[in-house]
Amino acid sequence: MYEEPYKWVEAVGNRRQYLDEQFKQGSPVVGVVYDTGILLMTVSKGTPKLYEIYDRLALGGMGHPADLEKLRFNLLEMAHVEGFNRSPSDVTGSRMVKYGVAPVIKQAFEEVFKAPFIVKILLAELGQKAGRDTFLTINYDGTFEEKNSHAVLAATPAIEQTMLAYLRQQHIPSLEQAVSAAICAWAVGDRAQHQALDETGEHDEGKAGRPQQSTDRDALYAHMRERVTEKTLECALLDRHQKGPSKYRAIDPDELGRLLPKDMNTLLT
Amino acid sequence: MQGDFYQLLKEQGYAFGVPGQADAGQELTTATTILAFKYREGVVVAGDRRATAGNMVMYDRTDKVLEIDRHSVMAIAGVPATAYEMARILEHSFKYYRRTQLQELSFEGKLRALSKLLKDNVAAALAGTGAVAPIFAGYDAEQETAKIYFYDILGAEFEGVEYAVSGSGSPTIRGILYYLNTWGEQPLSAMSEEQAAIHALRLLTSAAEFDSATGGVNRDAGLYPVVKFITADGVRTMSDLQLRPLFESKVARTT
Repeated sequence: MYEEPYKWVEAVGNRRQYLDEQFKQGSPVVGVVYDTGILLMTVSKGTPKLYEIYDRLALGGMGHPADLEKLRFNLLEMAHVEGFNRSPSDVTGSRMVKYGVAPVIKQAFEEVFKAPFIVKILLAELGQKAGRDTFLTINYDGTFEEKNSHAVLAATPAIEQTMLAYLRQQHIPSLEQAVSAAICAWAVGDRAQHQALDETGEHDEGKAGRPQQSTDRDALYAHMRERVTEKTLECALLDRHQKGPSKYRAIDPDELGRLLPKDMNTLLT
Repeated sequence: MQGDFYQLLKEQGYAFGVPGQADAGQELTTATTILAFKYREGVVVAGDRRATAGNMVMYDRTDKVLEIDRHSVMAIAGVPATAYEMARILEHSFKYYRRTQLQELSFEGKLRALSKLLKDNVAAALAGTGAVAPIFAGYDAEQETAKIYFYDILGAEFEGVEYAVSGSGSPTIRGILYYLNTWGEQPLSAMSEEQAAIHALRLLTSAAEFDSATGGVNRDAGLYPVVKFITADGVRTMSDLQLRPLFESKVARTT
């Protein structure tokens, strides 16, 4: 039935609708550059969503855990074989995405007889020098974008724009400020997603993404406290000051306790 | 098996340990004196920096004590081409395992990985083109102690309970280590970090005295051996700036 071009286009359209539906309740992911590295942050339930890929590459994902795992392995294999055959400095986020994982996601999305990857990916790359840190985000259809300073994943592009607009207003020199800004940006995104869900029957992204509520820090912290119950606040770093070639490290609860604003420590209990 | 980088490489057509036949007159680049012993806080691993081919000194700045990850070190003796390749495979294998399996490879797993590479290299080793007899030392997180292992060229693995040596200069210092540990003022394992470094320098200087393939210390060129410490905090390298005064005050003979 898909031999006719217009039916194929229709099938891809249906698939887009199906995938949009899958991300509605997903947990956003936030990536923020601070003075000596990159912070990735999300809230997860059960399976982690932040991973180390290579010496200077980290991954954050939204979507189905099995699909994320498959693509994570894909990236890991590619990065390590390339790093071994050539050199670790040839393993760049741009090459991994453009010639590696993005075409795989696009192919799966367009092969309408097979299941697509229910996944959105954020790849953070720590530059060799400060000021050269980058993010690459890949959508479920394989389209990718390169960003500096900050990047996010959320249910819809409109909500992502709202989160990015919030982050652009923040001054983020230190890790403490990066953690605080990332938590607030996550809350902005999660709140917008919930609002969109509440508006039953409506799929007006513009409405969903509109900042209808306060972006006051206390209000965002309150939302975060409410949402993080029985879940895990996950933070990981690409830390330029870390000894050795591997710059990734997950922030453990003790360190996170010290980094969180005082009234947010309850998130860890 | 998931998380096996070496297997992944082989699936992609990579071949390791391919034997070649060395001509009778062909002198291959080799090395070395390497040593490791336990001191109070962990393990010290040291190696000279000379690479030779027959009577020829090929290079005097070789690093034979290689940091494989934050908690383990491989010191190499034998054919450097093969040894460096082994170190590269191990480094990527340990990283790949940690990143795919979301946990560190056990210390025992690391030892097996090196043993496997040596076994795959047997044909090349016996053909005369790739013999390597390394020392592997690292911090075993499960047993909360630093350990030393040494290997023969066929891949057999032995624990150096107190110390281990390898390379052409090793027969000289093996005896000294035995003597020091048995009748010295204190056993090796009671030494402080500074004492361990002094003894490592003295041992390598002794090896260089009797083995032309061992470099020892070249004060004129400012060339010192590589000395690394392994403790619960990880691997740490002693800089030339730290080694120089130790050598001048405790090793060099002034009269």
